[in-house]
Amino acid sequence: MENSKRRFLKGTCALLAGASGASLLATVNASGSVKAEPDVKYALIHDETKCIGCRACEVACREVNNVPEGVTRLEIKQAGPFGEYPNQFYHFSRKSCQHCEDAPCVNVCPTGAAFIDKQTGIVSVDAWKCVGCQYCIAACPYQVRFINPVTRAADKCDFCRETNLAQGKQPACVAICPTKALVFGNLKDPTSEVVQVLRSNPTQRAKVDLGTRPKLFRIVAKSGEVTL
Amino acid sequence: MSKRQWLWSLRLGAAALLLSFSAMSAEPANQINSDACMKCHKRNGQMLGHHGQDAMKMSCSSCHGEKGDHPKKPNDMVVFGMQEASDLPVQLRVCQKCHTKKKLSEADWTHNVHAKKVPCAACHKLHSPTDPMADMTLKVRSELCSSCHTGKQE
Repeated sequence: MENSKRRFLKGTCALLAGASGASLLATVNASGSVKAEPDVKYALIHDETKCIGCRACEVACREVNNVPEGVTRLEIKQAGPFGEYPNQFYHFSRKSCQHCEDAPCVNVCPTGAAFIDKQTGIVSVDAWKCVGCQYCIAACPYQVRFINPVTRAADKCDFCRETNLAQGKQPACVAICPTKALVFGNLKDPTSEVVQVLRSNPTQRAKVDLGTRPKLFRIVAKSGEVTL
Repeated sequence: MSKRQWLWSLRLGAAALLLSFSAMSAEPANQINSDACMKCHKRNGQMLGHHGQDAMKMSCSSCHGEKGDHPKKPNDMVVFGMQEASDLPVQLRVCQKCHTKKKLSEADWTHNVHAKKVPCAACHKLHSPTDPMADMTLKVRSELCSSCHTGKQE
């Protein structure tokens, strides 16, 4: 009699402990999936001290993303020459989407075609939703948007989201760059190359005063830069 | 009938003669290729490019210098290119006799940045019928850049 009572008590206690443990685990799991912040936020660095202006990035982007001639998602702007012949040099800067965290193009888009991918932070375009009103083109402070003459939709750099990135590769421009002047990676991963480079170099971003929070960083080249 | 045959043969003959003339005039190419140097350099000396045309009035020595002790070594001949070639300033001086810095700079910006670093012959080929640098697509051009500029840049 006594034995069975003890066994009953033991059993109930074990059951209670198990149940409470399981419910606790369940709540932990639930809070994990509710987590608002995704753990990927892509950014790009253009190291102008390494760029040689070969424009291989432009060519690769056009090929990989099927960008028709006459328009481009990415442009290397050239300034110079600086200095006296034969000791001259040029400056090259990249003009492409800055993947703003607060993107004016997305804010003005009336159809929701322009959007920020919540998983990666990439500013992208749903071509089928775009009606071609060009409001985004007018709103973009970096003037990197254009109407694709084939799809008739607004187009721009999307870090190869639908092409190379979807196949687990680096964006076309980054992969092709012969001097490794482009560094692409996840800002949320403290071990990523992009974070390492940002920590060890002074970088600049364009028009930060607009509050757009762009994610295209540049490592500025040597002197001779003064342009008004 | 015989008259017509005769006329036809005359026409054919004239055509043949013209053809042979045009072939002959095409055959003994430019003056530069009958240079004395061709006695030895027939295979590697043919000058088929822009610089070989008669109007340029150039000879082998215009660029490569006087024969001197050649083929004994050492000699003063100018050899163009990257490997087993003359010193860079020597090579540059030859090209810059005609191609002034200003003209080079206007033609393409890449001249400015390579001015002290590589010989012209690193990219340009003068003996071949066409210079590989003429009419390049952007893709070919960027691949050429990459062929040297790989890895770390200064």
